[in-house]
Amino acid sequence: MVEMEGSKPIYIQIAEWLENQMLSGYFQPHDKVHSQYTLADLFNINPATAAKGLNMLHDEHILYNKRGLGKFVTGDAVAIIRKKRKNDTLKRMLRDVVTEATHLQMDDAELMEMLRDAIHERGEDQA
Amino acid sequence: MNVIEATDLTKTYKGVPAVDGLTVTIKSDAITGIIGRNGAGKTTLLKMLVGFIKETSGEMNVFSEHPFNSLHVSANSIFIDDHMLFPDALTLGELLKEGERFYTNWDMTFAKTLFDYFSFHPDQHHNQLSKGKKTTFNMIFGLATRSELTIFDEPTTGMDAAVRNDFYRVLLKDYLAHPRTILISSHHLDEFDHLLEDVLLMDEGQQVLHMPMDDLKEYAVSLTGPDAVVGQWLYDKTVLAKKQSAPGMMQAVVKQDFAIEQAERLGMKATPVAASDVCIYLTAKTKGGIDDVL
Repeated sequence: MVEMEGSKPIYIQIAEWLENQMLSGYFQPHDKVHSQYTLADLFNINPATAAKGLNMLHDEHILYNKRGLGKFVTGDAVAIIRKKRKNDTLKRMLRDVVTEATHLQMDDAELMEMLRDAIHERGEDQA
Repeated sequence: MNVIEATDLTKTYKGVPAVDGLTVTIKSDAITGIIGRNGAGKTTLLKMLVGFIKETSGEMNVFSEHPFNSLHVSANSIFIDDHMLFPDALTLGELLKEGERFYTNWDMTFAKTLFDYFSFHPDQHHNQLSKGKKTTFNMIFGLATRSELTIFDEPTTGMDAAVRNDFYRVLLKDYLAHPRTILISSHHLDEFDHLLEDVLLMDEGQQVLHMPMDDLKEYAVSLTGPDAVVGQWLYDKTVLAKKQSAPGMMQAVVKQDFAIEQAERLGMKATPVAASDVCIYLTAKTKGGIDDVL
């Protein structure tokens, strides 16, 4: 069973988990993804909730339907996910960072410096 | 399709209504949670559905039949609670055999697997089991019947935490393998909310809400911020509860019918409200918060 995190709606967590499987290359374009029943068993949730996550990805053109066969990864899935995560997730996280920095009365230069440090650290980790 | 349809359903005990003009339809092949406080009418409703008791007035159909005195409803439904009566003369092993004889969809392999897993002995008698073991046996028996309509009334009473988790897991896996209409009544929504497709919240014999679980989880949001900001924001909102969270700070639980970003931009912190808490707020007996009366 896969563990859930607390505050996010479960169907969104299902969708994000599938997106991560696509970003990592586990699911390639035109691969069949897990059915709502497999996801329900895997995450210990009601299949209707799993279906809601799958339908969300379908509405965003990340998955497509083959009647009677299930849901499959579209050709542009990874590009759509990257664009969405940049525009929504990353922007929201940056807004939170800026809000926190304002609380702490940091000036912009100091914040930029911290960001550069973080990028630098990532470079070292990858090296 | 709907397995259950009730219109203006009422059951009174000596003039006091337990179920009071309830109109509801329950979807087939879904797991629905029947949630409510003590005395909300949950058990009375469930017992009417399986034909254990007769309604005082109103209309009710289960599998398109009136359930009271219906053999069809009896043969295709089971009501599981901690008062289930089994003949004392029979051993647990014999009870399973009788179950197989009575219920056409009975799954003996499934029953025996769980029987062994939960360490029952075929020579034991039901009336000699502890409270927790009784409810565990009842659960095994109830699921093994594979009844089209399977009803659990407070199924985890007396079970320890490990058995509870096993129960919910077994229930889900069995439902995935054999989809059917399952109703579960409980006070502990937070314990099994992940299993539910729909929720019916009852209070004083009536329906408070009936909606998909995923919608209920996003029904309300908690906003925290300075008194003046929150106070003004609440002006045209549906407030479920509010309190002073710290000097000069107010926390309010409101129905989420607006974009959360809007509230956040004004400097309020938004946090999700658990479905079980929404149910508590919606069935609270005092209107408004304690701050409104003191």
